[in-house]
Amino acid sequence: MTSHMLIRAIVGAVIIVALIGFSVKRAWFLVRLAGSGKSAAGRTRQAATRVYAEATEVLGQKKLLKWSVPGFAHFVTFWGFLILTITVVEAFGELVLESFHFPVIGAWPAIRFAEDLFAVLVLVGVVIFAIIRLRNNPATEGRSSRFFGSHTKGAWVVLAMIALVVVSLLVYRGAKSTLIVGTEAAGDLNGAVVSNAVGSVLAPLGSDANLWLETTFIWVHVAVILSFLIIVLHSKHLHIFASPVNVYTSRRPDALGPLEPIMYQGAPVNFEDPADDATFGKGHIAEFTWKGYVDFMSCTECGRCQSQCPAWNTEKPLSPKLMILNLREAMFAQAPYLMAAKGAHPGLGEFATDALASVDASVRAEVERPFIGARAGTELAETDGYTFDGHRMGGTELPVISEEALWSCTTCGACVNQCPVDIEHIDHFLDMRRNQVMVATEFPSELNGLFKNLEQKGNPWGQGAARRNDWITEVDFEVRVFGAEGEDTIPDDVEYLFWVGCAGAYEDRAKKTTKAVAELMHTAGVQFMVLGEGETCTGDPARRAGNEFLFQMQAQQNVEVLNEIGAKKIVVTCPHCMNTIGREYPQLGGNYEVVHHTELLNDLVKAGKLKPILRTDGTVTYHDPCYLGRHNKVYAPPRELIGATGTLVEMERSGDRSFCCGAGGSRMWMEESIGTRINQVRGDEAIATGAQTVAVACPFCSVMLTDAVTVRQAEGTAAEELQVVDVATLLLEAMKS
Amino acid sequence: MKVAVCVKQVPDTESDRKLSADFTLDRAAADGVLNELDEFAIEEALRIVEANGGDVTIVTMGPERAAETVRKALSMGADSAIHIVDDALAGSDSVSTAKVLAKALEGKGFDLILFGSESTDARAGVVPGMVSELLGVAGLTMANAVTIDGANVTIKRSTDAGVDTVTAATPAVISCVWAMNEPRYPSFKGIMAAKKKPVETLSLADLGLAADEVGRPGAWSAVVNAAAKPAKAAGQKVEDAGTGGVVIADFLATNKLI
Repeated sequence: MTSHMLIRAIVGAVIIVALIGFSVKRAWFLVRLAGSGKSAAGRTRQAATRVYAEATEVLGQKKLLKWSVPGFAHFVTFWGFLILTITVVEAFGELVLESFHFPVIGAWPAIRFAEDLFAVLVLVGVVIFAIIRLRNNPATEGRSSRFFGSHTKGAWVVLAMIALVVVSLLVYRGAKSTLIVGTEAAGDLNGAVVSNAVGSVLAPLGSDANLWLETTFIWVHVAVILSFLIIVLHSKHLHIFASPVNVYTSRRPDALGPLEPIMYQGAPVNFEDPADDATFGKGHIAEFTWKGYVDFMSCTECGRCQSQCPAWNTEKPLSPKLMILNLREAMFAQAPYLMAAKGAHPGLGEFATDALASVDASVRAEVERPFIGARAGTELAETDGYTFDGHRMGGTELPVISEEALWSCTTCGACVNQCPVDIEHIDHFLDMRRNQVMVATEFPSELNGLFKNLEQKGNPWGQGAARRNDWITEVDFEVRVFGAEGEDTIPDDVEYLFWVGCAGAYEDRAKKTTKAVAELMHTAGVQFMVLGEGETCTGDPARRAGNEFLFQMQAQQNVEVLNEIGAKKIVVTCPHCMNTIGREYPQLGGNYEVVHHTELLNDLVKAGKLKPILRTDGTVTYHDPCYLGRHNKVYAPPRELIGATGTLVEMERSGDRSFCCGAGGSRMWMEESIGTRINQVRGDEAIATGAQTVAVACPFCSVMLTDAVTVRQAEGTAAEELQVVDVATLLLEAMKS
Repeated sequence: MKVAVCVKQVPDTESDRKLSADFTLDRAAADGVLNELDEFAIEEALRIVEANGGDVTIVTMGPERAAETVRKALSMGADSAIHIVDDALAGSDSVSTAKVLAKALEGKGFDLILFGSESTDARAGVVPGMVSELLGVAGLTMANAVTIDGANVTIKRSTDAGVDTVTAATPAVISCVWAMNEPRYPSFKGIMAAKKKPVETLSLADLGLAADEVGRPGAWSAVVNAAAKPAKAAGQKVEDAGTGGVVIADFLATNKLI
């Protein structure tokens, strides 16, 4: 070994030992921290689906590519770093062996070309990221920037580190290309076109200078990579390691649609006789599962969730991103306690005494900090306490989670749908709501009335069961009511059980939809039957308001009835009923084929059983209900139906990026007192299309958008003829015209 | 401070309420629920002991199934309950009910005895007054605010004429009106805890009352007849032909509303 190589190796070794020591220590801490969470059931089941998700979402970058420009930048950076692991290995090898290259493939010209190509593409990616950050600078753009509240300084450091990795690589490879290395000719690192170009610039400096240049930049390269590793392990950039784990262990197909029941030791908790140490929701950071902790570690603060959130975009204190940051902050601040308690935190306001005694006073203050509570009136409450660059006001005297933010969520699913690393925002929010309702009894007072109505009357409106059949008296054809002729199971000639729903039975606008759907089924010769007074609320409003106990009671009762009468195919007009009966009742042993009326009607039109007349006057815009679209992926049928009756114009936000009407997540039953009204923002977007008709497919969207349009009509800023109607009503009108 | 809250199980106001052949309530015909007005009394009692210390006892007279109502009241946060059950109590009127409740309350050292202002089935609203009379303590009825000051209790009493401020020394009976507070929703923890709270079941013999003092034989009042409420007559329809406002004003004037 030459003396030069000896110096190169010794300095290299010092760098490696010092920096890797730090990294290993931190990595071990993170693994133990994640492992200290409560157990999470079923996170590795269905391995094939998980491997597929890993392939498409991590390797294929599917969710990132929903946004083309940032998606491209991330795609090339991600793949750049995958490919550059070859050069990283080579750089370490070259510290001791000048001619080292990656076994077998390292010297292939095609591989060297790919390395240089991606090195340049990573630089292009970094430039794109920088431009995106400058254009969306939260310092000037305020809360309309998706980076508002993200740690922007840290983000710039990361971008600089990425650029340094690539630049140091190209310089050392450029210098190397000028030297005679092994059997390869000087001035030519075969295939590495960019490195060779750098080399041609460096060549005039002579071989001595280039040897030192090569050595120095290998040191720089290795030092930068290892420093970067330390930064990654201490920052939001941890997503590099956490997100592949998170994607693999996330709910499949996604964390939308059904909510998970409250679990106790791997099985749904028994509400009839719960174990003494069972917890009901999450009232402390120590009550989250390890999957929750991996979620928090995975967040990259990209703010795609925030950019889509209906609450954040109407000046409410809720941002899904900031909520995850709050939880992450609490997790790290309380880490010594969490790791000492090892999942033995009892919850329900109690602490693991020994673990609490073992931590410093400052950590103890964090552990005993109120978890969920009011932040209204405190500094920057309107942005959940955050400054634009990620500093949060207040210390341990303020709660980790703002209740105003928690109750602002409409569970529309835009955040979950967007999140590139599959964080399960809604599940966490709902778990915290569950704690607020079932343990803390701290929730918006409007929900008192809702819960009472659901418990005593079986519907949110508090109407008597006898009125469920009112709509039947208002149609001029026969509607078969279950039990009217003494049947105790659904007769064989009945194809669909028509689940009318509470809105469909009691709410005037929804009743119109009910009658339209019934008439259309009648016209098409579809045999259906309704449950009449036997129907009660599915439990969706209770569940989304955090009252899991009430949901379980209602759901059990409904599943019993539906199983007893032999229900198989069910048609609903309410996407919330659809989601609950079709996707949540299987959790309680109720398995039915549930279709939304727009799906059924579309099939009937396609089969020629309904023949609408195409109207040419005026256009129709369509509002995607969150629980039909994002939660259940029904986007095409309502659009095809509208296409069969008229001309569809899309709103600015539609399909899986549709903007909520404001009524989901039981928000229908709460006052909206903070910021702009969500329904107004969406209504204005519909009005802006210039369409004559706003078509909806959900009773709650119908109420919310009608209200919004009425406000504008009263102001004279929306056309008098503009009407909000259900797709079914539209179809019925087209049949009659 | 020892607080008692007297509650009643009533038929759900939304369901079809029926009378039996002898004009007593057909309890089987409707779901039994906690009298909604009693919820305000329970909430007020809980707030009083939260602020002043002490405990809350639920007292009810009713058939076996009124036990559900007792559990509901306990799940809101009350500490214990007394349930008076006896077949001989069937057909009790307000006077009999007051006698029974007074017997159950007497000598137990309650500082305050709270009631809802009336029950949504009988709607007499006289039991609180009768109980205070029988116990010989002050009766502060129709309270929409309660403040405790040492051994004195003060209520705001809303009447048609205005708001009276009435003060009495404890022990006292208070009846609570609609919407005086926001009754709490029982937490799941509360519902679970209620299953384990003590409920003392007493019979007439335990209270030292004879069967003929209460129930139908002891009643001072009797229902001699009952008829279904006549259906609402159709209202007057006014088509607005430019004079709608005048017609409405005339209608209101005729009915002495303006």
